[in-house]
Amino acid sequence: MKYFLNLKKAMNLLSKNKKTIFIGQAVEYEGTAMRRTLHGIKQSKLLELPVAEEMQMGMTLGLALDGYIPVSIFPRWNFMMYGMNQLVNHLDKISLMSNNKFFTKMIIRTSVGSERPLHPQCQHIGDFTSSIKKMCLNIDIIRLDNPNLIIPSYKKALNRKDGKSTIIVEYGDYYNEK
Amino acid sequence: MNIHELLSFEKEIADLFNKGKIKAPIHLYYGNEAHLIKIFKNINRDDWVFCSWRSHYQCLLKGVPKTIIKREITNGKSISLCFPDYKIYSSAIVGGTLPIALGVAMSIKRKSKKNKVFCFIGDMTSETGIAHECIKYAINYNLPIHFVIEDNNLSVCTNTRKTWRQKKLTFEKFKNKKFITYYKYKSKYPHAGAGVRVQF
Repeated sequence: MKYFLNLKKAMNLLSKNKKTIFIGQAVEYEGTAMRRTLHGIKQSKLLELPVAEEMQMGMTLGLALDGYIPVSIFPRWNFMMYGMNQLVNHLDKISLMSNNKFFTKMIIRTSVGSERPLHPQCQHIGDFTSSIKKMCLNIDIIRLDNPNLIIPSYKKALNRKDGKSTIIVEYGDYYNEK
Repeated sequence: MNIHELLSFEKEIADLFNKGKIKAPIHLYYGNEAHLIKIFKNINRDDWVFCSWRSHYQCLLKGVPKTIIKREITNGKSISLCFPDYKIYSSAIVGGTLPIALGVAMSIKRKSKKNKVFCFIGDMTSETGIAHECIKYAINYNLPIHFVIEDNNLSVCTNTRKTWRQKKLTFEKFKNKKFITYYKYKSKYPHAGAGVRVQF
């Protein structure tokens, strides 16, 4: 499957950068499809967290403030809702609050939950991309509809010089279908 | 920076606000000068300081020049003063700074650096879920962070202890002094503004 393989290649590419660190629940332990894209990455680059999404989003921002390029992993949009305070009130506003002096480059991975072969029902398949785009004017949000977008999108998020953070939205179903 | 200088700075800002010269909310300190001066004896230039919407004293004590702080306040930024050159981040959102401060502390630990993080929060903030999560995580991972709980027993005008129905705050008598400093104070200023209703 090209979609999954390209995600794995993209994560491998990110891991080669000295400043990156992968953070979230199930970055070190198995349990999610996203975790499988991190296989082969050195354990020292992985920071497993308890389930505490606002804490995770805030910690991600703190790591970025101190020079890391954190890759923060939220397996579904629905779960990331807990982190919205940090996303909307802090990450999106930090350049305004600091007269463009705080430089924070975060990469946030999330996904629209898969519906096939098992349908997890309405609390696990949310796609809030367009709503969050309206709420966060200083964060770039990219949807990975096509496997060919994956590597260029993660490269852009890693190498961008405009001080913006990037939310990258994956599709759970495409892991097995594209 | 001594007690008199701190008091006179807040007085100057209060006067400016009451004359309608600041067209944004301000939050003033009073009555905790000695506590903060003592705490800042342990805070170095390279340490990070995270504050709430009330942060003029911390900015002064961290070494930000008065003129720069005053300029930012008169530009309407009293409630979210950020000075990256001095490693100061303030936010007007309850509890918002705690996990950010935690992330910086984690970074410092992973990089084996020597500086520390100081995170100032109020009594109501100290009872929030995010505060409990972050303090627990910081202690369990032995992160280089210190939380300062500043207790005026109020969140705007709401009594913290009465609303939570507890006589003591969770961290009021906390034994682990490495991670938490707690002090109580009483301000003469209201939650926001300086006591005069200003018509613009």
